[in-house]
Amino acid sequence: MAASESELGSHPPIVTVDDFLWFLYLYPLRVLAAIAPRRLLYPISRLSRLRARKRSEVVARRVLNAECTGIPKDQISRIAAAFLANSAIRMLDDLVVSWPSSLRRLRCSEIRGLEHLEQARSAGNGVILLTVHFCATRIAKQYLSSVGYPILTVRDELRVGDWWGRLGRRMLAPRRIKFLNAIIGECVYVQDRGCVLKIVGRLRAGGLVNIHFDGKAGAKTVPWPFLGTRRKFSTGIFDIVRLSGCAVVPMVCLGRSSGLRIHFGPMLDIVRKPGRDEFIEANLPAFVETIEQQIVNHPEEWEQWISI
Amino acid sequence: MVRIRKVLVESLQLDVGDAEMPYEQMLEEVATLDSIAILEFVAAVEKEFGIKMEPGNLDFDFLRDLSVLAAYIEQRIEAGSASEAEGIAGD
Repeated sequence: MAASESELGSHPPIVTVDDFLWFLYLYPLRVLAAIAPRRLLYPISRLSRLRARKRSEVVARRVLNAECTGIPKDQISRIAAAFLANSAIRMLDDLVVSWPSSLRRLRCSEIRGLEHLEQARSAGNGVILLTVHFCATRIAKQYLSSVGYPILTVRDELRVGDWWGRLGRRMLAPRRIKFLNAIIGECVYVQDRGCVLKIVGRLRAGGLVNIHFDGKAGAKTVPWPFLGTRRKFSTGIFDIVRLSGCAVVPMVCLGRSSGLRIHFGPMLDIVRKPGRDEFIEANLPAFVETIEQQIVNHPEEWEQWISI
Repeated sequence: MVRIRKVLVESLQLDVGDAEMPYEQMLEEVATLDSIAILEFVAAVEKEFGIKMEPGNLDFDFLRDLSVLAAYIEQRIEAGSASEAEGIAGD
């Protein structure tokens, strides 16, 4: 649902197609999500196919360019189609969990590797849950919070977006921000100057913090091979791990609100080095390898195929 | 308070010219440029005074107030000494 600002120019029209789609999403569809069972709601995701051809081609091309030995070339069009279906389901699930009563509707069919998380927590220095942008991560975190694992999410500040027409910018954009704030849960924005202190405060209290390691790179970055190309990774996570002594546990969230699957991997073996650069050099390869493996194992779940 | 300022300047390798700036302004500028630097500062304060700051006090507005921070550090040092003395008496 997005067109770039350059497409719209500096004087956007009164209403755009995206305005109309966002209106449908934030109002009638959201009401429908509250009352309709999911077996009736999910088929709506098929409507996304109407606008999906171009996106599907983009995803297929990017999967192909990624040159990942783990992703079979003959599966690329299937992966692109599954990715688009998952993205549409995720938007519908966001509607489901936007209602206060939603927690009763979240179903988790499998939690694997909880012992890894418990082992990491037992050290008492807090745990960073290392993830990539998978479709089910947001609702899985809501589920985990509801069963006694509250998670602080580190994320980019919510922006108004540049795809709106004038009417949408005035009326729908603020509504969208309010909607997203309600479903994201407890979070800290990387743009806040107190962000790092909040993260370390939570870790020091023995809590859980989620960092998407494939997120947009911050001010300080380091390049490293990733999915067949070179990508810049933020170094902030390494400073936090080095200075807080926290554990790092990979987490993969799959499925949908009617059947979530949450997998925790074994704690990463952190190489303790005193210097900042040495610490990054010693640990970056394992962090990148971990998230790359998450994507290779579940390419149809990775939301960033569109934005890389 | 002088010691805290010194820790700030040394831990973040600020220019001597910066050291003339008011503490609050220095911290603001550092935080704007690099939020991780604030964490380096906290680590340096903890090392210098032999304390560990509580999670609830890891807050930018709290750190920005030099007199409040100094009082807190003093209190943590006293609390540390008291518990150490209790430990010795217990032995």
